[in-house]
Amino acid sequence: MKRLSLLLILVAVLFSLSLGLRGRGGGDQPADEAASPPENAGTPSDTAAGGPEFGDWLVQNISAEPAHLNPLLSTGDASTSYMGSFIFETLLEIDNETLEFEPHLAERWEVSEDHLTYTFYLRKDVRFSDGVALTAKDVRSTYDLIMKTENDTANLRNYLQDIENVEVLDNYTVRFHMKKPYFRHLLVLGAFDVYPGHIYSKGDFNNHPNNRNPIGSGPYVFREWDTQSRQIVLERNENYWGERGPLDRRVFRMIDDDNAAFQALERHDIDINEIPPEKWVRQAAKPKFEREFNKITPDSPLPGFLSRFNYIGWNMRKPQFEDKRVRQALCMLFDRQLIIDEVWYGYGTVLTGSIYHKAPEYNQDVEPWPFDPERAKQLLTEAGWVDSDRDGTREKNGVKFEFELTYSTGVPEYNQLGAVYQEELRRAGIKMNLNPMEWATFQERVHKRTFDACMLAWLTALMPDPYQLWHSSQAETGSNYPGWKNEEVDRILDEARTEFDHKNRISMYHRFHELQHEEQPYLFLYARPGLLALDKRFHGVELYPGGIDPLEWWVPKSMQRHK
Amino acid sequence: MRETLVNKKQNLSYWAIVLRQFKQRKMAVLGIYVLGFLFFVAIFAPFLAGDRPIYLVKDDKTYLLPNIFNYKDLVYVEFDRWQPGEGDFSLSPLIEYSPRRTNLRDKLEPPSWEHLLGTDETGRDVLSRMIWGTRISISVGFVAVGIAVFIGVIMGSLAGYYGGKVDMVILRIIETMLCFPGLIIILALIAFLGRHISIIMAVIGIISSPNVARLVRGEFLKHRESDFATAARGTGLSDLRIMFRHILPNSLAPVLVDATFGVAGAILIETALSFLGLGVPPPTPSWGELLEESKRYVDFAWWLVTFPGLAIFVTVTAFNLVGEGFRDAMDPRLRQ
Amino acid sequence: MKAYLIRRLLLIVPTFIGISIITFAVLQLSPGNPAFMRLQQMRGAMGGEIPPEIIEQTKKFYGLDRPIHERYVIWMGKLVTLDFGNSYKDNRPVLERITEAIPITIQLNVISIILMYLISIPVGVYSATHPASRGDTSMTILLFILYSLPSFWVAMLLMFFFGGGGGSDSLGALVTRGFTAVGIEDSGAGRWLLENVFTFNWFPIFGISSEGSQDWPFHKWFLDRLWHYILPVFCLTYASFAIMSRYARAGLIEVVRQDYIRTARAYGFSERIVIYKYALRNSLIPIVTLLGMLIPSLVAGSVIIESIFSIPGMGRLFYESILGRDYPMVMGIFTITAVLTMLGLILSDLLYAVVDPRIKFE
Repeated sequence: MKRLSLLLILVAVLFSLSLGLRGRGGGDQPADEAASPPENAGTPSDTAAGGPEFGDWLVQNISAEPAHLNPLLSTGDASTSYMGSFIFETLLEIDNETLEFEPHLAERWEVSEDHLTYTFYLRKDVRFSDGVALTAKDVRSTYDLIMKTENDTANLRNYLQDIENVEVLDNYTVRFHMKKPYFRHLLVLGAFDVYPGHIYSKGDFNNHPNNRNPIGSGPYVFREWDTQSRQIVLERNENYWGERGPLDRRVFRMIDDDNAAFQALERHDIDINEIPPEKWVRQAAKPKFEREFNKITPDSPLPGFLSRFNYIGWNMRKPQFEDKRVRQALCMLFDRQLIIDEVWYGYGTVLTGSIYHKAPEYNQDVEPWPFDPERAKQLLTEAGWVDSDRDGTREKNGVKFEFELTYSTGVPEYNQLGAVYQEELRRAGIKMNLNPMEWATFQERVHKRTFDACMLAWLTALMPDPYQLWHSSQAETGSNYPGWKNEEVDRILDEARTEFDHKNRISMYHRFHELQHEEQPYLFLYARPGLLALDKRFHGVELYPGGIDPLEWWVPKSMQRHK
Repeated sequence: MRETLVNKKQNLSYWAIVLRQFKQRKMAVLGIYVLGFLFFVAIFAPFLAGDRPIYLVKDDKTYLLPNIFNYKDLVYVEFDRWQPGEGDFSLSPLIEYSPRRTNLRDKLEPPSWEHLLGTDETGRDVLSRMIWGTRISISVGFVAVGIAVFIGVIMGSLAGYYGGKVDMVILRIIETMLCFPGLIIILALIAFLGRHISIIMAVIGIISSPNVARLVRGEFLKHRESDFATAARGTGLSDLRIMFRHILPNSLAPVLVDATFGVAGAILIETALSFLGLGVPPPTPSWGELLEESKRYVDFAWWLVTFPGLAIFVTVTAFNLVGEGFRDAMDPRLRQ
Repeated sequence: MKAYLIRRLLLIVPTFIGISIITFAVLQLSPGNPAFMRLQQMRGAMGGEIPPEIIEQTKKFYGLDRPIHERYVIWMGKLVTLDFGNSYKDNRPVLERITEAIPITIQLNVISIILMYLISIPVGVYSATHPASRGDTSMTILLFILYSLPSFWVAMLLMFFFGGGGGSDSLGALVTRGFTAVGIEDSGAGRWLLENVFTFNWFPIFGISSEGSQDWPFHKWFLDRLWHYILPVFCLTYASFAIMSRYARAGLIEVVRQDYIRTARAYGFSERIVIYKYALRNSLIPIVTLLGMLIPSLVAGSVIIESIFSIPGMGRLFYESILGRDYPMVMGIFTITAVLTMLGLILSDLLYAVVDPRIKFE
């Protein structure tokens, strides 16, 4: 799936630990209290009554070759996490419908009154694919691996920094002591990918041989990584403790060329792909295509996340972007609705903030800045940027208003956006140079804050907490790429973290949203659903509030292609 | 080809013969016409396509050639949205679209009376972009070959004239340079140095020079012992003078042929680079870049695929025809 | 001949040294080198360029903080042992990734070279033996046109018309209309043709093998592989037909003028024997030496063609490394390409010695 993978999403891993959480349609579960004993994992059979039939493969496209298959490393990307979500497992799961916590590796859990102690009681029948049992010790060793500073896991370490210590009470009980309360702790701990300690604790985690041959406890096991024919293959884990996946294999091909990927889809060489908007309205609208494929538009193209939004991030450390009037003006020079209508054919919503636009935390009362070049020019002049020498570019204190917009080459539509925005800025006296670059290089630039302005996307997660993206402590080494340092924002974000009353939190985040809109550390572009086409032979495809769940998909025996 | 030092008249008549032979070859002449047309388009691009007028009367002020000169009053006038008012007059270029003017609502339109060759993915007029792209192609071609000839002549003449050790060393250099395919070394340098038109021109020039050097060396070897050269040495002229004022003019014939083909090759490399996304950076329009864009829409936007490719093809063919024409015109066995 | 061979082989040394010098010069432009830093400053790039770790890594590996002669020795050492370090992308050794990719490029290039000779020689011979005939003239024009077509454009057009792009649809629609006009579109044969042949979806445009082909029996896998090679090989070779057949033609014409051919004819041998037994062999000399020149252009062509058709060969690897600023990879492929080309040139010189009888008697 081209779009739903690395090219758009910058380190989505760190934005949400729910990446490991797969939802299953299931019963209600209260979130922060001790859970009741688990229901029986269904006994494996080839045809559950009226349920999924076993067999066939799902062939997807992840467009670019990942560096490795170790989702915990920060050099991984969304496709690494996605594939990892079938191989590794987490302590808890999120229900697709209710978005509540469900037991998974942990049969039940307890949270202390002061929200500082979390105790998980693990299942006793879980084994890794090499046969070794999964115990509380593995939880502990995974934690150790993440926290070790030599390991390239800085993103995750950020989340786990509140853990005081991890106590292994017995083989199947593990207790986390937290330094301070945080409303999201259960999610953080529940989204813990549990690695086999006996394998990964030995050797260099960053360059571990199993990074290309991962071993986990999940419903699928790694089969092969064929660099010649460019595909990664996962196989069903026949010894899985839980409900076995209906599909025999999951194949991930790497087709980076859009046309080739679409052709492969038409030829049924791959079964699902994200479709570029031009093709969505032309080729994918042809009768033959509609007959053979289901077109679905989940808010997030990738399971485990709620939505995706695009933005342009300003490096507020640079003189050009210091003044908020300038940033507001820059927003007014971008005609977002036009882009949605013309480039995305209406599939998008203009945003004013970074929280999931359908969550209650999103402040619907905030009106987006209008597309108003005249007013923008006024603001620029007010802020002191004037073209005194009349050479077409404004300047202030001897500095020309010229900057570089960097973005990944993987999304062709960025070229369109870039070109249109460049023209509009030129008319207003601002010189913007476009610099598309390859994903990995781009990622580096953003990480090192050596960009002027960057254009990319985030995937939003459950239980929004803007802290990761916006707190000033995250400005130099975390995800706060623009470097926004605002005292009121910091105060709100700190207080909200320990606010366990959802309603209070909502109003706090509403105020935060207003500040975001006013200060414009990002130019918020829009939320964009994924445009996916899936072979009709796949049944069990549901569009949940939590997104799509490929684990549930199955193919009736009569329609299966691969035996 | 007998020459004497003094008889420049005979010198001229050689080229007169070549010219006459050339003119008799219809395909070569056709090539010259095409090249002339391309030159015209490249030089007069601002008059052929753009939204800045050629002649403007606005608010009681007269402006001459605002399409070339940057008048301070006109800096922020958006000509594509400006309408002449009372007493105003503007004379627009042939195609009224600037190669940079985007218009999303008109994107990916097939050729029409509005846009003769259609529009690209941001609504820019394809014909306008192609007209301005001619400048890049032609300039890269000629500058690169200019560099190649300059370096090649120096290397080849030194090797051919002095022979011996100098020759050996230069031959080894040539051989080493030939081990590096042009595209490979350009790509490597762009990876390290970034995308800049001067780098592209310089590198294409440098890697094309070995061929020129070999040709020049061959010619120098031939002429070194000829009568006029011996006579020149006899009169005590300096080596440099003999090389560059006497032998060189007689060696230029094959260089001319190679240079002509070289321009075609340079243009192909430049367009290939732009196609790979590593050529001249946007928003400068280039034919290769248009083709690169068309890759995404190859299913239905045939106008994005056809016209730039056709332009490259016609240009390269023209240069090849002219080159062939020169080669045949200079071949004494093919006199017509 | 022996002397010639030995002399030729000895010349490898200076050429190799030359390659090492040029590659070393390019290496000076990599991040971490003082020259590179100064260049970056001069260009006044506004956004910074390279993250510090990359710089440190590169510095250490190539010893860029040492004096220049030491740097050169380090580089020479690495060259000779083919140790190019680890790729920045996935930290695997550069050599390992190259050895994965190079067989495919070699396969494509070998097939291309064979095809070029197979086609160009007969065409050249025909042209030489039937000069100014209709065949000769039309062949010349066709080849001239082919020579002037940019390879990436041709590749795109082929994809468009014969690879299932919109052109295929258009052509298919045209043929369908034709069939309907004649009234055979409903017949069994007509329908079969329309659905299977005239969809013009004749060639794959991506990769080197079909989905799941590794599980197929060998002959099926092999044919599938060849089928995937058709378009790329065509794109790599068509331009050379013109040059090579020209060479063959010119060579043959030159030889045919010689006295010993006249003598052979005087002996009463048939024209056929004269050409194929006597003239051809000698006329092949220049075209054999072309082999050395072919290799650099094939390697360069591979970069473009492999990228377009997404073929996992060395050309594509090079292109991706450029985009990804994977400097060790770039240096590795760059150097290996030069060495391979040098070997190719030497090979063609040696072949020349073998084929040209005059050299045997030196």
